[in-house]
Amino acid sequence: MAAARRRIVITGGTSGIGLALVRRLAGRHDILVAGRRDDADALPVLPEGVRYVHAPLTDPEAATRAIAEALLKAGWVKLDNLILNAGTGFAVEGGTETAAQVRDTLAVNLTASVLLARALFPWLDKAAGTLTLVGSVAHTGQGLFPAYAASKAGLHGLARALRAEWAGRVAVQIVHPGPTRTEMHQKAGHDPGRLRTIFIPADSMAVMLEGAIAARRSPVTLSFGRYWTGGAAWGGKL
Amino acid sequence: MGREAVSAPPNALVTGASAGLGRAFAERLAADGFAVTGIDRDAPGADPPFDHVRCDLADPGAVDALVGELAARGPFNWVVLNAGISATGPFEMIPPGAHARLLAINTEAPIVLTAGLAAAGALAPGARLVFVSSLSHFTGYPGAASYGASKDALAVYAKSIRAPFKKAYGVSVSVACPGPLRTDHAARHAPEGADAEKRMPPYEAARRILAGAQRGKAMITPGAGATVFAFIGGLAPGPVTSVMKRIIYDKLDRSVF
Ligand SMILES: NC(=O)c1ccc[n+]([C@@H]2O[C@H](COP(=O)([O-])OP(=O)(O)OC[C@H]3O[C@@H](n4cnc5c(N)ncnc54)[C@H](OP(=O)(O)O)[C@@H]3O)[C@@H](O)[C@H]2O)c1
Repeated sequence: MAAARRRIVITGGTSGIGLALVRRLAGRHDILVAGRRDDADALPVLPEGVRYVHAPLTDPEAATRAIAEALLKAGWVKLDNLILNAGTGFAVEGGTETAAQVRDTLAVNLTASVLLARALFPWLDKAAGTLTLVGSVAHTGQGLFPAYAASKAGLHGLARALRAEWAGRVAVQIVHPGPTRTEMHQKAGHDPGRLRTIFIPADSMAVMLEGAIAARRSPVTLSFGRYWTGGAAWGGKL
Repeated sequence: MGREAVSAPPNALVTGASAGLGRAFAERLAADGFAVTGIDRDAPGADPPFDHVRCDLADPGAVDALVGELAARGPFNWVVLNAGISATGPFEMIPPGAHARLLAINTEAPIVLTAGLAAAGALAPGARLVFVSSLSHFTGYPGAASYGASKDALAVYAKSIRAPFKKAYGVSVSVACPGPLRTDHAARHAPEGADAEKRMPPYEAARRILAGAQRGKAMITPGAGATVFAFIGGLAPGPVTSVMKRIIYDKLDRSVF
């Protein structure tokens, strides 16, 4: 029997892991992608039938409003999955980011996630849905991009608290991907060099991520351990 | 210049210096002979042991201006990033503005200040940098989800810059995770009937934290209770968070933000 069609919001679904996940889920489920690009730059990369809302998360309050309005416009009164995947960061020398780099990183990764989780709670509550926060294995600390590591640690703490607060209503989970072959490192100003070749392919990460979302456990680490033991071969489906 | 420059007392900086733990840090550092600059939104009351600089750390423009002003006063031998606010209640009942303000004060401001002072050369070689996080870093904090998140972020920021700051600036970075303190802040957010006597006086916490930072400790959990709690929380964060939910979240009788 085919699984029921779910209503899913994914932030940052226009490239990397998010886009790979959107491609897996499109067709089977109803998807609204939120991103920083104009419609003209976003729609061509998205599969047919996927909805899109322009909502740059550097302004968390405005983005939250835009996404809530897009849900109303689509006529969605419930949400089965909210996947907060958009992320940004900056690789720096001497652990010293500029004020603008710190603010963008914290706004996109942490503040926007807090405000979106709060604003979309009523939608998730009606569907007994799942909130998935995409963290990083860097959440325990990383000198190359300190504010990024900090933001992911914040998400880890947020998930721990909300999972307890919303128990029995909305499942909350944090999923920490390991190094994945996307454009993120280049956007962050970091060249992983030859190491990049051993990074996990984005499509494989999307398989493991879908499995983790379906299982609703937390916290989950999706890194080399799971990948090399076949984690991308037998992931569960949403 | 020579003489005066050599004999001038070394500088210390404390954020959130007007009350509670911040006040205790400022008094302690002043007693140890430092010229203390104390940042706070509120006036410090009569005879503060520090030079008060007013700043609303929730305002990014004000924080940027503050970095410039502090760079001119530096270099600092001690920097204690202590300022913080809380927001308690069911997460979804707290207004979005209160969550955003909390993250700006507790996480963004100390990180922007630290990176700004470092880039401006305002950290003296051998300086001690202390970030005040929370004991909830070891467990999770249902009933103060954004507060817990803000303090987790701060703790991991400190951990992240420890090695690069030692190398680039010769500065020692510590993070402190105090448990409940006998301050107005704690009294305002604690559940009804919580026992104030069990909380550590801020002066004792400040003394222990400064001593730990002086020794170059990476993580400081002031007091035996905090150390044991951190240990158990580290072993079993899930079950401890559930206990926290029962003793804090389920007893919340009001929202405060
Ligand atoms: N790649 C890794 O090694 C790795 C490891 C651990 C965790 N992660 C996490 O996994 C998630 C996805 O990363 P990825 O590797 O797939 O990176 P990516 O390819 O750069 O994708 C990030 C997505 O976030 C979007 N985004 C960035 N800034 C935004 C903003 N201000 N507002 C709205 N959307 C914004 C990007 O939009 P554009 O398409 O317009 O750029 C993109 O869709 C992130 O949370 C990242 O931190 C990645």
